[in-house]
Amino acid sequence: MNMVRLDKKKFGDFILELSVEHAVYAPGNTGGKTDFIPVSSEDEINLKTLVTDLSPKGIFFPHSEVLYEYDTEGIRVPEKEAGKPIAVWGMRGCDSRSLLMLNKVFGSAIQMPDNKNFQDPYWKEKYDSSVIFGSACNMPQSTCFCNWFGDGPHSREGMDVFVVDAGDHYLMEPVSDKGSNILGKLTCLTDSLEGDAEAALKLASEAESTMVPPMDVNGLGELLNDLYDEPVWEDISAKCINCGACTFSCPTCHCYDIQDEGKGSSGKRIRIWDSCMFPIFTMEASGHNPRALSSQRVRQRVMHKYSYFLEKYGDFLCTGCGRCITVCPVNLDIREVLKTINVYNRQGITNG
Amino acid sequence: MSEWQPRILAILCNWCSYAGADLAGVSRMQYPPSIRVVRIPCSGRVDPLFIMKSLQSGFDGVLVSGCHPGDCHYISGNYVARRKFAVLKPLLEFIGLEPNRVQFSWISAGEGDRFAKVVTKITEDIRELGPATRLVKKT
Amino acid sequence: MNTTNELRKSIKALIAEKKVDLFLAWEKGSLPLTATPLFVSTEDQADRAVFDVTCGNNLSIYFTKDRKQFANRKVGIAVKGCDARSVVLNILEKQIQRENVVIVGVPCDGVLDRKKVLAKTDGREVLELIDNGETVTVKGNGFDLLLNRNEILSSSCLACTYPDAQEYDVFIGDARGEVPNESRLKEIHDFQALSASERWDKTRNEYERCIRCYACRNVCPSCYCNVCFVDQNDPKWIGSTCDYTDTLIFHVIRNLHVAGRCVECGACQRACPMDIDLLMLNRKVAMEVKDRFGDIAGLDINGKPAMSDFREDEKQKFIMG
Ligand code: SF4
Ligand code: SF4
Ligand code: SF4
Ligand code: SF4
Repeated sequence: MNMVRLDKKKFGDFILELSVEHAVYAPGNTGGKTDFIPVSSEDEINLKTLVTDLSPKGIFFPHSEVLYEYDTEGIRVPEKEAGKPIAVWGMRGCDSRSLLMLNKVFGSAIQMPDNKNFQDPYWKEKYDSSVIFGSACNMPQSTCFCNWFGDGPHSREGMDVFVVDAGDHYLMEPVSDKGSNILGKLTCLTDSLEGDAEAALKLASEAESTMVPPMDVNGLGELLNDLYDEPVWEDISAKCINCGACTFSCPTCHCYDIQDEGKGSSGKRIRIWDSCMFPIFTMEASGHNPRALSSQRVRQRVMHKYSYFLEKYGDFLCTGCGRCITVCPVNLDIREVLKTINVYNRQGITNG
Repeated sequence: MSEWQPRILAILCNWCSYAGADLAGVSRMQYPPSIRVVRIPCSGRVDPLFIMKSLQSGFDGVLVSGCHPGDCHYISGNYVARRKFAVLKPLLEFIGLEPNRVQFSWISAGEGDRFAKVVTKITEDIRELGPATRLVKKT
Repeated sequence: MNTTNELRKSIKALIAEKKVDLFLAWEKGSLPLTATPLFVSTEDQADRAVFDVTCGNNLSIYFTKDRKQFANRKVGIAVKGCDARSVVLNILEKQIQRENVVIVGVPCDGVLDRKKVLAKTDGREVLELIDNGETVTVKGNGFDLLLNRNEILSSSCLACTYPDAQEYDVFIGDARGEVPNESRLKEIHDFQALSASERWDKTRNEYERCIRCYACRNVCPSCYCNVCFVDQNDPKWIGSTCDYTDTLIFHVIRNLHVAGRCVECGACQRACPMDIDLLMLNRKVAMEVKDRFGDIAGLDINGKPAMSDFREDEKQKFIMG
């Protein structure tokens, strides 16, 4: 199927039509902040922000999720209301790529030691039936560094439908079968005109040209492994205060804790976001903490993103959305960290 | 139907207020059956977190009581407690909790009548407010 | 007078005279509107130090990070008025020794709250900020905006009474003196005038958004417990989900833990990724502490933090019966 057009005047109708069979999520305001929120009309959507303050991972992997409830009778998985499949509007390329990464973990995690794949039912139920309308970035921000890892501001990875804002209309192109299907059903779309494809390409190259050239990340994983024991981590982490703001706003961070909340003879088992920045993340029952120091925790965050995940799943666990950079209260900029690593002259290793 | 009976947690110090409650009991003084007593060594031991947790788990009110100033078994426990409560109480009211849900009192071992009076008063006040909802966690 | 230059000179001198092994200051951050903590140990590094309206970080948090990371080292620190009070508090609470710190006061006209600036630009990215004194100009891709300074200063600064360090070894430039700040508590009085249920609704709406990232706690110079009560799991005091009763208990108890210790630096509020108005409750508590016990956190280096002290004859009207 080819590219189609959506007149912006019909955007409201489009959302209504999409809502008939889907639970629609789009960027919107919560308090003073932006997040992906459930919407039922055009008015609730805020498309002015490029990168929402919170990432869309919360749609599929919420901050807290009840896994099951228990009482003296046994355990029960809470009944979901017969939910409609999720449709997301306005997801940037960095965010849709992050879902692919999360899907590697929750969709088919490689289990040690038998190497069987584990599928997380809570994730799969929401993610597998979802349809993602992407949103190409025509004007990347100074904190965007998706060009380090992905294919830049007009990337289609992880999307079902690729969407370009072309002034008074959107251009849409299916990326997956799910995408073609849904575009085939929606009635408010019109055929694209001659020149539309070229216009989209032009916007893509303009957007790319505004971005700072990427750092070369080839070999970053091995480099990090080599530097594991170097004192450089102390300098890098010196200013980090180990709050979890970076990991909570990151679209790819997916560590969680499982906690029971009980009262009397019943309770719930809940999965809750956790962060490797917290000292208790690795606290053992004996009281020993293998990552007691801030430098060890910062190293873990960097190693997991740019080495361990790469080794295990063949991709960096970072999409370059820049959220951790904007949110950090002490301005610990992950790009600077990687640059420091890249030029570090490995004295410790050569000397001994 | 019988009247709604509030459930109030009374956190009482071992040396004065608990003994005061005991005296009220053995003297057969009348007061509403609304309280559940927790005995603690000293009002200075009361962490505001105990009070918050009690409200969260559904108590309609909390009473903390210790020895009169000057009478603390540990000399200054109740003075330290008084500072904590003096800040906690206005703060809870500030965030919008009803003022009468959390109360403090000094009751000595000889003041069984005072204990009965305090319990009667706090129970009436809370009955007027109705069941607690604001900080109660829904499970 | 150029504060940045004076600050650099002063750091260099302290390092050259071996009066400090390490100096905590700020440098220009990687983002517009942002400064970032700088750890200076050589004279060359001192040239990176800056002081301007972006230097919001309260650097005294590093005294208590990772337990004793500066043990047996002489540490210098650049402080605004509020930061100096944190240093004093750290000294009173025996986290550092007075003789091991060199306190350098800088003249502060208030620091900005990035979130307030971004709220003005309607989602558009800010690339540059020019400080014109009474006003600031913010520039972005295809726009520039003239803003009144008061619109973008951190709310802690708008209510600040002691902009100058009260305890210092060196003070750079001209002190501003005590700012009477009549309107300081207006917000609190306005809030108090609402009905209990209105206050409850507002509080709930505010704290309901908390995602429990704990940035507020970690950035707070007065929150340095080895294991915070929210992290304890034996017993587990409060739930870790975003249930508003749990979140509110976390915040109320944190407010009480920093009662008489909160220096109203506003670091918590500026750090919060959800833009929650955290200062309101802190200020209310500080107001109670001052009215009842006459204490202001971190002002008196010979004093005692309010909540670890008492007087026998304190007002106790709130006691029943
Ligand atoms: S990098 Fe920044 S946001 Fe992340 S834990 Fe450290 S201080 Fe917090
Ligand atoms: S509670 Fe907030 S304002 Fe008070 S000292 Fe801590 S960070 Fe500063
Ligand atoms: S909230 Fe309380 S327990 Fe937690 S770090 Fe702060 S002072 Fe310590
Ligand atoms: S910084 Fe904000 S979101 Fe994070 S725990 Fe504190 S109040 Fe909650």
